[in-house]
Amino acid sequence: MKRMKVPILLLALLAFQPAKAQFLKKLKDKAKEAVNKTITPGSADKSADNSSTEQNQGNSGTNNSGGRPTNRGGGGLKNTTPPDVNQQITDASTSYSTAKYSDARYSIQQALVGVEIQLGREILKSLPSPVVGLQKDTTQDKVTSTQSGWNNLTIQRVYSDLRDKQLTVTIGNNQLYSGMVNMYFNNAYGIQADANNQNVKQVKVKGNKAIIEYSDSKGYTLIVSLGQSAMIVWECINFADENEVMNAANSFDVEGIKKSLGEQ
Amino acid sequence: MKAIIITICLFSISLFSFSQGDFNKQIATAKTSYAAGKLEDAHFALQQALQELDLIIGKEVLKIMPLKLDSLNVNIREDRVNANSGFIGTTIHRSYGTKGKASVEIISNSPMISSLNAFLNMPMLGGMMRDEKTKVVKVQGYKSRLEKQNDNADGKPSYDLQIPFNGALMTFKTSGMDEDEVLRLVNTFPLQDIAKLIQ
Repeated sequence: MKRMKVPILLLALLAFQPAKAQFLKKLKDKAKEAVNKTITPGSADKSADNSSTEQNQGNSGTNNSGGRPTNRGGGGLKNTTPPDVNQQITDASTSYSTAKYSDARYSIQQALVGVEIQLGREILKSLPSPVVGLQKDTTQDKVTSTQSGWNNLTIQRVYSDLRDKQLTVTIGNNQLYSGMVNMYFNNAYGIQADANNQNVKQVKVKGNKAIIEYSDSKGYTLIVSLGQSAMIVWECINFADENEVMNAANSFDVEGIKKSLGEQ
Repeated sequence: MKAIIITICLFSISLFSFSQGDFNKQIATAKTSYAAGKLEDAHFALQQALQELDLIIGKEVLKIMPLKLDSLNVNIREDRVNANSGFIGTTIHRSYGTKGKASVEIISNSPMISSLNAFLNMPMLGGMMRDEKTKVVKVQGYKSRLEKQNDNADGKPSYDLQIPFNGALMTFKTSGMDEDEVLRLVNTFPLQDIAKLIQ
C-alpha cells in the first residue's frame, strides 16, 4: 500500500506544478494590467505638477531583446529643492574662518546653484502665456545651472498648440547659437549683402539687436543678444511668417529678463 | 612730485585692502543682497567670493610645495595664481632652477582631463595613443602619463609628466633630466595634500 502511495503523491505534485505556474502567471498579468491602468491616467497630472526640471529624469524604458526585463514605469526622480542659499553662505563663512578652503568653495558653489535656480524659476514665472495663441507647456520647463556664472544657466519654456505648432524659448547662454550670433553681429555687411538668398537677417526686438533665420527643416529661429553673454532664443516651428515670429517675441518682457540677469 | 607719491601710496593701500578680507566682504554683500531679493547682486558677490577663494587655495598649494628640488631653487618671483571664473578654473604655476629646468602647472577643471583619463584607464585607447615617447607611470599611487618631449638646446631630454586629480591636472615639466630623476623629483611633492586642497 505504501508503495502505491508514493507514486500517487508524486503524480499529484507534478500535476499541481503547471497549474501553480499558470495561476501565478495569470496573477502576474492581472497585477501588471492593474498597475498600467493606474499609472497611465495619473502620469499626465503628475508631470503637470512638476513645473520645472532641474535634473535629467532617467526612467526611459528598455527593450527586452537581450533578455533584460522592460521597465514599465517608476516614480522617476523627485525634484530636489535647490540648495539653501543662506545655509550655504553661513557654511562657507564657517569653513573659511577655520581655513577649510575647499569646503568653503563647495558651499559657495552650492549657494550659486541655489541663486541661479531661484532666479531661473522667477524668470519662468514672469514669462507670458499664451503667446500668439500657443499655451505654455510647463512639463517641459527647464532650469539648468552648472554653477559657473551665467554662461551655464539655461532657462527653457515650450509653448504649443498641441498639434504641430511650437515655440521654444531659451534664455541664458545657448552654446549652440553663441558662435553664430557673434559671427553675424560682427559681420553685418556680409549677411545683409547676400540679398539673393537671404535666410538670415538682422532685426530688432524692442530695441535690441537680433538675428532671424529661416530654414525649411527647423523653421524660424530668432536670437536676441542680451548684454555681455546672455541671449534669448526663440525657435518657432510651423509659424506662418516672420511677422508672427516677431509678434511672439514682442510679447516677452525682454528688458525685465535682461535686468533679472544683470545684463546692461 | 608730492602728488605722484600720494597717488602711488593711495593706489598701493587700495590694492592691499582689496586683497585683505575681500572674501568676508563679498559674503556679507551676498547675504544682504539675497535677503533683499536682489538675486543678481547676490550671484555676482558669490562669484567674486569664489574667485577670492580660488586665489587663496592657489596660494595654499604653493605654500606646501617644496622650496627646493634637489639643487634647484624655487623662483618665487615666478609664482602665479590665476582665478578664472568660467570654463577653466584656477591656474597655479611655480618654476625651479634656471632656463626652464623644472616647473609645475596645476589647472583645476582642465579640459585635458577627459582625454588623459581615457588614455590612462582604457587599455585599448591607451594602446593606440601610446608610442615610444609616452608611458604610464604611478606617482604616489596616482596613475600619470610621462611624455618625452624634444631634446633641449643642450641635446638633453625634456619630459612632461601629467598627473590627473579628478577634474584638476598637474603637469610637471623638466628639461635636461632623465626619466628616473624626473620621477624622483616629482615624488618630493605632497600630491595627496595638493589634491585635497584643489578638489
